[in-house]
Amino acid sequence: MSRVQTFTNGLWNENPVFRLVLGMCPTLAVTNAAVNGLAMGLATSFVLIFSEIIISLAKNIIPSKVRIPSYIIIVATFVTIADYGLKAYFPDIAEVLGLFIPLIVVNCIILGRLEAFASKNVLGDSVIDAVGMGLGFTWALTLLGSIREILGMGTIFGGAIPGFTSWWTPWTIMVLPAGAFLTLGVLLGVMNYLTKSK
Amino acid sequence: MKEMSRMILVLTVIAILSGLVLAFTFNMTNDKIIHNAEVKKQNAIAEVLPGIESYELKQKGDFSYYQGIDANGNPIGIAVEAKGGGFQGEIKMMVGFIPTEKKISAIKILSHLETPGLGARITETGFKSNYENKPFGNYSVVKRPVANEMEVEAISGATISSDAVTTIIQNTLKAVEEAFGGEL
Repeated sequence: MSRVQTFTNGLWNENPVFRLVLGMCPTLAVTNAAVNGLAMGLATSFVLIFSEIIISLAKNIIPSKVRIPSYIIIVATFVTIADYGLKAYFPDIAEVLGLFIPLIVVNCIILGRLEAFASKNVLGDSVIDAVGMGLGFTWALTLLGSIREILGMGTIFGGAIPGFTSWWTPWTIMVLPAGAFLTLGVLLGVMNYLTKSK
Repeated sequence: MKEMSRMILVLTVIAILSGLVLAFTFNMTNDKIIHNAEVKKQNAIAEVLPGIESYELKQKGDFSYYQGIDANGNPIGIAVEAKGGGFQGEIKMMVGFIPTEKKISAIKILSHLETPGLGARITETGFKSNYENKPFGNYSVVKRPVANEMEVEAISGATISSDAVTTIIQNTLKAVEEAFGGEL
């Protein structure tokens, strides 16, 4: 597989949210506004990129019988760094994302990519895979968050949309958990339709 | 046995490295995190006690509160951190009182888990103004425009959240009256 393919895989063909349907817990829970989706996506990408770097470098040192605990310790370390960093420099976002930042530890995308990719590939490929998957997760969450925020609150990234916000009646259900399922379902359908008709 | 010792060694080294990195991160960020919490508290106190210059944490029996002090060094009111159950989780807020005038000056919601678009509107000025510059007493939540200043107009579709905020304020008010006793 070429490096370009490795990169675009995460963005579309194997998009974690729309194709692999992994990491649904943060996907559904935090995407009630565009900025939350973006922040969650970037935090997950940060953890994914650094964990893949470390695992791909250390793959020959770690005995296979203890690889999962090793991965978890490494992932948890980066998650804690992200958690402290957000709390220190972006306290407002940290407050909204709350418990979902520590829960990145058990995000299946991260452990999945470590096991399926970083532990079998060299550093360069692993970084490309992590960036692709991270961006794929980020755009998916941002899109979900944007749709829910536009319909549910009539705003985008917290700001008014010219010619829309003034007359739009917010569909409150879209920012509630049910809205997450509705939006994700429709988007999965659209993705499947686009891929099929190609 | 060789494999076993290797596993133990690798896991130990990973855990030690992880601990070192985390200790370093903690040292880098902890001051900032404490500072953020402090700024948030300061802003909340300043918001519920307009016109204060500084404040200090005071204790009266089991009851702790922030004494607001104006530019001339006179005490002008107290702010109390209050919390209680809401519709979906704990509501935390800062309530400002002016004991000398027997008035609630203002409230600020610090954190809550109420339903977005419904209960979450407790943070909006329209609802909070129900408790601005209001006398001590028994408040009641009504589902119509208020008829007197002891009534609180419930947010439509969020009576439970409106009730919850009122109950928390009422409890805090009781605690303030008990703590200050005859001094009121």
